[in-house]
Amino acid sequence: MLADGFTWDLGSDLHQLFQFHFMVNAYRAGTVVAVVAGLIGWFLVLRRQSFVGHTLAIIAFPGASGAVLIGISAAWGYFGFCVAGALVIGAVRRGRPGEFSEESAVVGTVQAFALACGFLFVTLYHGLLEDVNTLLFGSFLGITDAQVRTLLAVGLGALIALAVIARPLRFASIDPDVAAARGVPVRVVSTVFLVVVALAVAETSQITGALLVFSLLVVPPATAQAITARPVLSAALAVAQALLATWVGLAISYFTDYPSGFTITTLAFAAYLLVHGARWMATGRHRLRLAR
Amino acid sequence: MRGRSRARAGRWTAAFLALVVALVIAGPASASASGRAATRPPISVVAAENFWGSIVRQLAGSRARVTSIITNPNTDPHSYEAKPSDTRSIASARYVVVNGIGYDTWAQKALDANPSRTRRVLVVGELLGLSDGDNPHQWYSPTSVERFVSQVTADLQRLSPPDAGYFGAQRTAFETSGLQPYHALINDIRTKYAGTPIGASESIVSPLADGLGLRLLTPPSFLKAVAEGTDPTAADKEAVDRQVQARQIKVFVYNSQNSTPDVQTIVKAARGQGIPVTTVTETLAPAAATFQAWQVSELQRLRAALMRATGR
Repeated sequence: MLADGFTWDLGSDLHQLFQFHFMVNAYRAGTVVAVVAGLIGWFLVLRRQSFVGHTLAIIAFPGASGAVLIGISAAWGYFGFCVAGALVIGAVRRGRPGEFSEESAVVGTVQAFALACGFLFVTLYHGLLEDVNTLLFGSFLGITDAQVRTLLAVGLGALIALAVIARPLRFASIDPDVAAARGVPVRVVSTVFLVVVALAVAETSQITGALLVFSLLVVPPATAQAITARPVLSAALAVAQALLATWVGLAISYFTDYPSGFTITTLAFAAYLLVHGARWMATGRHRLRLAR
Repeated sequence: MRGRSRARAGRWTAAFLALVVALVIAGPASASASGRAATRPPISVVAAENFWGSIVRQLAGSRARVTSIITNPNTDPHSYEAKPSDTRSIASARYVVVNGIGYDTWAQKALDANPSRTRRVLVVGELLGLSDGDNPHQWYSPTSVERFVSQVTADLQRLSPPDAGYFGAQRTAFETSGLQPYHALINDIRTKYAGTPIGASESIVSPLADGLGLRLLTPPSFLKAVAEGTDPTAADKEAVDRQVQARQIKVFVYNSQNSTPDVQTIVKAARGQGIPVTTVTETLAPAAATFQAWQVSELQRLRAALMRATGR
């Protein structure tokens, strides 16, 4: 199954990997996306808002297909639709920030409609059909220099916005009532955060596809938060894992021809299993010792 | 327990970071040493689809190594997903032939992501002045095939000027012996059966019908919908059914590589009415056949069907 070229000589493998411009661009784009997704996803998991992230990812699909339908770059569709979706979800949310039951129904409704629109756009645009798999499950083939620049610029913007709201956001995430009482504008902060998530989702969709956004946005942060409760350390671990899954996943895909959506997701999932397995064994031994 | 796991987490982080740093350092260092593959004969040629690749191979002879990407006669090229190795072969080729006209956007993307100053690209759609939305199946048009042949020869001559004479001779040989039975059959069908009304499953048959002078009665919007994998309208389906029931069409031609349930129903109805049915395929069948051997066998089957239908 291995394509010509893979050897056990790491130096020669790396040389082959970066021999072609499309792989250099894949690594550039993958690195930007992994850092953005790891950091923003860390807050998303902390706030237990994975479902919102999933919905924004689903919205990315009609965004991209709609953009191609009217003849503009898919990237604009990803960013435009995701940000608009975040604003809608942020505006619809009423009542106390702690009430998530109503929110999940609203979010689910938006998600179903978004997916239906995506399907319509794909049907209306004759000839796009070959790209549906790419929109849903991702592809790292054919990323141009201009796309890398866009990913970098938007990623930096999202991270700067996140840095500005990071402190109040963490406060509001841990105890929204106390934060509100202390004068933190909880509503504004959480809406800004939704927009930041939308940007991260739009970026990640372009590498992993709309359906596999979680492989970088949720799995690495969830794994990192299982390893340690120290915020800075676990955020760094989330980024490191996202990077590692992306880099190694791209390399495996390059040498084996397996789709990158599968290899990246599987690596992230394997790390998640490892960490939870190790934790389970550790607590098991701990309990045994207590029982003795 | 917390303290212990914290210490362990610290060690893990250190290991992670060390690996990350190693990869970051190793990556760009080898990236800068890349590129500039030495150019040496034979010319490396990649064709997105094997029908074009077969023609290029015969025109280039021993002076080029031609690889085709889409070769499987059992899949529909419209829904092809590019693999990393495909992009790799496109990135390393000196001459790339793609169909264009929205048929192989994956190949266009691969070209865009791998800019090169030394590579020559032939986009068949651009050569013929067609754009997205036009009929992409130009390898079924005898005149388009002719224009393709001259352009490929000109491109090869420009890629390797010392071999210009060789490529000229290759072309003459291909035209006079290779394509001879293909042209002879087309002329034969045209003189005997021009004006005969036929039906078809999709737009792949339209350029062929034009080239043969046959009257394709199936609504163009139906042909296009089936080719693009969208649902034909109810009105179109009704029109197609009527043409079969009233035996307005003498022969029904369908693409066996893209035969939807709708198409199967028409085929059954046509057989029921005693209308001869014949098939064409999107790509070379068998995959190892040459372009002309494949076309000739399809044309022979079509001629046999026309003979049965008209008694001529």
